[in-house]
Amino acid sequence: MYGFEAASFNIKDGYLDAVVRGHRSGLLTQADYNNLAQCETLDDIKLHLTGTDYGPYLANEPSPLHVTTIVDRCTDKLVDDWTKMRCNAAQPLATFMDYCTYGHMIDNVVLIVTGTLHERDVQELLDKCHPLGMFDSIATLAVASNMRELYRLVLVDTPLAPYFSEVLTSEDLDEMNIEIMRNTLYKAYLDDFAQFCNRLGGTTAEVMRDLLAFEADRRALNITLNSIGTELTRDDRRKLYSNFGLLYPHGHTELAVAEDFDQIRNAMEKCPPYQAIFTKMGYGESQMLDKVLYEEEVRRLVFTFEQQFHYGVFFAYMRLREQEIRNIMWVSECVAQDQKSRITDGIVYIF
Amino acid sequence: MSTQNRYVVAPTVTVLAVMKGRLSGAIKGHALLKKKADALTLRFRQILKKIVQTKQEMGKTMRASAFAYTEARYAAGDFKHTVFDSVEGASVKVAASQDNVAGVKIPKFERLGNGGETKMNLTGLGAGGQQIQTCRKAYLKATDLLIELASLQTAFLTLDEAIKTTNRRVNALDNVVRPKLENTIAYIKGELDELEREEFFRLKKVQSKKKRDADLLQKEKEASGANDHSKVANGGPAAPADGFMGSVKKAASNLLDAVGADEDIVF
Amino acid sequence: MAAPGPEGSLMAIIGDEDTVTGFMLAGVGNVDLRKKSNYLVVNEKTTVKQIEDTFKEFVNREDIAIVLINQQHASMIRHVVDSYKKPIPAVLEIPSKEHPYDPTQDSILSRVKLMFGAEMGM
Repeated sequence: MYGFEAASFNIKDGYLDAVVRGHRSGLLTQADYNNLAQCETLDDIKLHLTGTDYGPYLANEPSPLHVTTIVDRCTDKLVDDWTKMRCNAAQPLATFMDYCTYGHMIDNVVLIVTGTLHERDVQELLDKCHPLGMFDSIATLAVASNMRELYRLVLVDTPLAPYFSEVLTSEDLDEMNIEIMRNTLYKAYLDDFAQFCNRLGGTTAEVMRDLLAFEADRRALNITLNSIGTELTRDDRRKLYSNFGLLYPHGHTELAVAEDFDQIRNAMEKCPPYQAIFTKMGYGESQMLDKVLYEEEVRRLVFTFEQQFHYGVFFAYMRLREQEIRNIMWVSECVAQDQKSRITDGIVYIF
Repeated sequence: MSTQNRYVVAPTVTVLAVMKGRLSGAIKGHALLKKKADALTLRFRQILKKIVQTKQEMGKTMRASAFAYTEARYAAGDFKHTVFDSVEGASVKVAASQDNVAGVKIPKFERLGNGGETKMNLTGLGAGGQQIQTCRKAYLKATDLLIELASLQTAFLTLDEAIKTTNRRVNALDNVVRPKLENTIAYIKGELDELEREEFFRLKKVQSKKKRDADLLQKEKEASGANDHSKVANGGPAAPADGFMGSVKKAASNLLDAVGADEDIVF
Repeated sequence: MAAPGPEGSLMAIIGDEDTVTGFMLAGVGNVDLRKKSNYLVVNEKTTVKQIEDTFKEFVNREDIAIVLINQQHASMIRHVVDSYKKPIPAVLEIPSKEHPYDPTQDSILSRVKLMFGAEMGM
């Protein structure tokens, strides 16, 4: 239906498209951040945030405030927005929105799995789960008494079953390093998400291909960077890279053998879009990388709103909100810890 | 002389020698303890200075660590639970050894193991792993500092206690034991002097009495040879039976009769 | 007295989630076979009694040489901390990220200052 979605898009998804674009304009602007950066206490921050979309969520929080409370309330706002839109979504948008949250769901399932392994309290575990990654039967996972049973429950109860059955066996659940398991699942999820977007076709596929490719490449970069000097072998590393993205497949081969930051840099710079990112950084400055990557991601996410009649905006909205919450967390932490000189280091301006 | 501040002892030469020995011991001990207290106080002050410095440094280090943690959370999202779930055996432990300052044993802590190199290093593989490692190092540094501080603090408490005890001992020796011994020695010396004077007096008295007796005998001999024998039979038999003390008593009673109220002679 | 075994002694931590996480990350954490841990995460649900009990448990455990406690939590059980006089395990008050270090509250430092306050120039 490529090219024709303009004709029918608004019949089904026009309302939600409008809603999400409305939410987008509620994101904090640079002026807001400048105000926040001037705050002296967490109460000041709350005062500023009550003037924004977060107002109703923070208004009733009693002092003394904690950073975690602020972050939790802001997350609540995102979750509320998201569930409202999800309730109103028709297929295939509903599936698309589910896909967006699978990332959090992987984290939650991994959390529950490790928690169950260490016999932690179920309620405590559920409290720690990210609300966006919740699904109805998540609590039942914690009743499993051994690994085999847990594995079966994951297959039966979670939407993640395909990824689990694809890449893991019940023995893996017991033996595999939890981080490798998480990243293996994430890889399977990204691959699947990319395929799903391709099936949707049209502008959605076009927009999402770009976003997911960036996401996949960023993960590949991070995994490489973070596994230098660890026991993760080159082959294992290679297995965690997604099967698409601009670096696939030649970049991956180079990344897999990279032993230091400059080698990674060489591999990445062969891709023109990433070359631009790396030229922003001096040699040897790997600390800045996260922020630069966040900035690049935000830039790409904001671009999705320039196009019409596609689902990418929902994904972008979720990601932007999350970045905004990260920003708020950063500002709040800086204020709470009296490190105001560092405030601007962590804010990624969205607009 | 009052009996309040001295030992209750028999005033004899032997006891005097013992007391003198004890006094010189006390003086020597006092000097030694004083030296120990000085050594301890010296160390104590060094530690105090260091404690204050380290505590303030700790404030800064902890702040830096907390911020490193914030950075890690910014980059990696929420990784608390992963960390908590990976906790098993402690990879950083503390070894306690002992340091000796002037005979006071001071516990000293040292870090064992270099911490978390095995399991945690894949945490945040997908995102922010580096920041997590930076954060780990920051906290490891803080741990080192805290262990140092713990050593200092334990040393502080132990030394504080030791100095207090030592000072108590020094003061006890200086203010209680020494005066008491000195008093006792003075008392014994006084008593011994007294005895000597008495002895001297007694000897004199005996001498004078002997002289008087001899004079009397002489006179009687001169007066009449027959009268002499009956006189000796009167006073003579009593003296050998009473022995020495008897003769002293006699001398004393004679003395009382003769001298009357002499204040010094009290039995 | 902590037994200075060949494996060394543990450090125990009582503090808010972030502080404890940091030290866990450094590798201080220990959970033994009986699921007994050497840390206590204090959150808004934790009662003062719990902190007090845990503190008492930690200072009486044989295998612990150092007890770290967040200053604001030490203040909650100040009477217990102040009445603790033994040199081992050493009790250290540490700042948390939202409560910068306040030397005036520290029970050891206040003793230090009491004794040498004038000459330390603080």
